[in-house]
Amino acid sequence: MSKVNVNVNVHHLTRVEGHGDIVVDVKNGELVKCEWQVVEAPRFFEAMLRGRPYQEASHITSRICGICATGHATASLRATENALGVEISEQTEMLRKLVFHGEIIDSHVLHVYMLVAPDFLGVGSVLPLATSHPEIVMRALRIKQLAGDLCAMVSGRHTHPIAMTVGGFTHLPTLKELAAMRERLVAAREDMDETIALFKTLPWPAFERETEYVCLRKDDEYAFIDGRIVTTDGFTYELDDYRKVTNEFMVPYSTAKRAKHNRESYMVGALARFNNNYDQLHPRAKAAAEELGMKPICINPYLNSGAQAVEMVHCIEDSISIIDELLDRGIEEEPLYEFQGKGGEGVGACDVPRGILFHNYIIDDEGLIQGANCVIPTNQNHANIEDDMRALVPQIQERPQKEITLMLEMLVRAYDPCISCSTHLLNVEFV
Amino acid sequence: MSQIDKVKHTLILGLGNPLLGDEGIGVRVAEELDKLELPAGVTVLEGGTAGVNLINLMEGYQRVIIVDAADMGRVPGSVFRFTPSEARFKTAPTLLSPHQIGFGEVLALAEALELGPPEVVIIGVQPSRIESGTGLSSELKKTIPQIIRIIHDELDT
Repeated sequence: MSKVNVNVNVHHLTRVEGHGDIVVDVKNGELVKCEWQVVEAPRFFEAMLRGRPYQEASHITSRICGICATGHATASLRATENALGVEISEQTEMLRKLVFHGEIIDSHVLHVYMLVAPDFLGVGSVLPLATSHPEIVMRALRIKQLAGDLCAMVSGRHTHPIAMTVGGFTHLPTLKELAAMRERLVAAREDMDETIALFKTLPWPAFERETEYVCLRKDDEYAFIDGRIVTTDGFTYELDDYRKVTNEFMVPYSTAKRAKHNRESYMVGALARFNNNYDQLHPRAKAAAEELGMKPICINPYLNSGAQAVEMVHCIEDSISIIDELLDRGIEEEPLYEFQGKGGEGVGACDVPRGILFHNYIIDDEGLIQGANCVIPTNQNHANIEDDMRALVPQIQERPQKEITLMLEMLVRAYDPCISCSTHLLNVEFV
Repeated sequence: MSQIDKVKHTLILGLGNPLLGDEGIGVRVAEELDKLELPAGVTVLEGGTAGVNLINLMEGYQRVIIVDAADMGRVPGSVFRFTPSEARFKTAPTLLSPHQIGFGEVLALAEALELGPPEVVIIGVQPSRIESGTGLSSELKKTIPQIIRIIHDELDT
């Protein structure tokens, strides 16, 4: 019998509200405790929406997350539009896809370059990386700038998407802006090639565990907005049935909700989309996946970051295609939706950078929100993270404790979790 | 307000999250400044919780004035003007999530890459209540005219 004892207790205090702790205890070679503890103060977003006019919902919810502002705004608008029976034009759909692509690129580049790459390059975090490999960090910032400008061009500004509204846009990009953006996207292919070349060299841990992968799917495109819910275990659901997938539950040592479907846990995010919708990726993105040695169904959670790199390539290419179509057909001012005095209930779903996001609203005949539910991707991943840890620890428990800790941290990081998002209070000591 | 100003000189960045009570002070101040006439070359941006994107937003400006809620160990409603060299920002020892990247990390990264603006001034406001809910506490509502006065003084120098 193994005599190995491991005790990992990593407290990741974030600024004010929440934290994610990794607690692992191995006694005499046996895993006796393995917990991914996420403690967050309740947010009450649902309560914040109750009684508010439907027009405010997307602006309020876009503040839930500084990184997924467009994702929340879009899911919110789709929930509202479905509740009120609002049809959106093809132009609106294309513009929303464009700004969404901007956010996917922006979020993924932040994650793969600033959080994942430093682990593999042996520098620990992005600050020393800026000194040891400034060209890598500068490339990341260049891609981020492009993604941010793409978002701002369509949604009105860099930080929160003010131009997106129920039924359409209050501000439209000009053809000149679209053409200039197209040139920049084409030029960014070089940075994408460099990104894939870099990630190809990184030594991904060889850990695998089968699980269920859940995401949106559409008939004709790699889905980010709308579609149906699909899983790699062969299930398909309409959006209105999202609760049949999420089945939220709590565990005593964590205040964040969790989700499970066909197994004890499931995974959402870039890897889930890659595994379900690989056939719909742009050929250049498929080539990038091949470079990285990735094929569906990939069951190595560390490669969620690889799937993110592949999606960045897809989003650049799809943005170019969308802009080509917009340049061809022209941009038209469209009348905005006017409330018809009839409420209803609707579900909106988007596959945001970290996975599938649901908003569900009940709107009354006055246009006021009477009920709201929001299921975020990170909560759907918590149970899967813990199940991965439980499978991983016995495989690595003979290694030095420091290495075990790093492997577990890297595993959590691979999921790109949204812990304590939206709180950025400065914590200052005067010198 | 214009996103891209031809005469880039001073950027006033209001940071924070208005869904978390007093955390939104910077955003509220930016909204107030938007209603005022400011000198040429001064841009006001609401930076929200933009994280690393702030590096790109700050690029090209001579001076950046940050307004943000800050735990400075003072009485709620205290407003304090300081520069980065006068302060140490507590940062997360290990980043598990990009959401942990705040202004302290952004500034350090910008400096490491030599992209930091030549002059940074921070107007920190000690919050009273950081919890779910829109709207500022009464203590922080009172600070808005004082913060705007401090910004005017900065712009005069």
